[in-house]
Amino acid sequence: MADETRLREMSFARGYQELASIFRFVDDFFDAESIDRKHRAVIYLAVEELFTNMVKYHPNNDQKIVVALRHAGRELSVSLTDFDVDRFDPTSRPDVDVSLPLDARRPGGLGIHLIKVLTDRVEYEYVDRRSTTTFFKTLE
Amino acid sequence: MLDIREGDQGEIILSGRFDASQEAKAAAFFQGVTGSRVLDFKDLEYISSAGLGTLLSVQKRLGKAGDELKIINANKHIRDVFLYSGLSRIFEIDAAPSS
Repeated sequence: MADETRLREMSFARGYQELASIFRFVDDFFDAESIDRKHRAVIYLAVEELFTNMVKYHPNNDQKIVVALRHAGRELSVSLTDFDVDRFDPTSRPDVDVSLPLDARRPGGLGIHLIKVLTDRVEYEYVDRRSTTTFFKTLE
Repeated sequence: MLDIREGDQGEIILSGRFDASQEAKAAAFFQGVTGSRVLDFKDLEYISSAGLGTLLSVQKRLGKAGDELKIINANKHIRDVFLYSGLSRIFEIDAAPSS
């Protein structure tokens, strides 16, 4: 029998000050699902990078951003959905050259790069001006 | 929440979470930092690309005078973030406190 999927979602206002509330939301889900806290920092990071991108690229949108956490078996997936926005597909962003020396380094793009490296996979969906990015992490 | 303070030996001690909401606070603190300094991450739980960007800017500025930031006591998450962002080539990262 397939593992039951448990879902929890919450909406957050469009501002960096919401990060503390988002992290509390993740903490509560981890506690409720008895997920080992060693996985928490990666989830924090992926959620923060996607959330701050949505804030940065659509700063004047009145719509809240929805964060959905799903846990099934050994897999945790997290979706962030932004409403009434233009397409922004983080999975299609060019790779960052992390081998550049100090003088040539620019911080932009590092967040998406880290999500790709630290999670198992990232998916993107754009339907009716609704933009959803989902990342998946196997809990080992 | 991020806390930044100077230790008895002149090291800079960071505690908590260094996320995008703490960028302005960190930038204001590091604006006054000169010379080579040790960053003690013993109580720093988490860092995102926003935190990396702030530290990268400081490292660039200090590097012009031949100075640098060195990191000690970073946890596994933070080491991974520095490694996979290529910044472990730009920052010296030690496990043990420097003497």
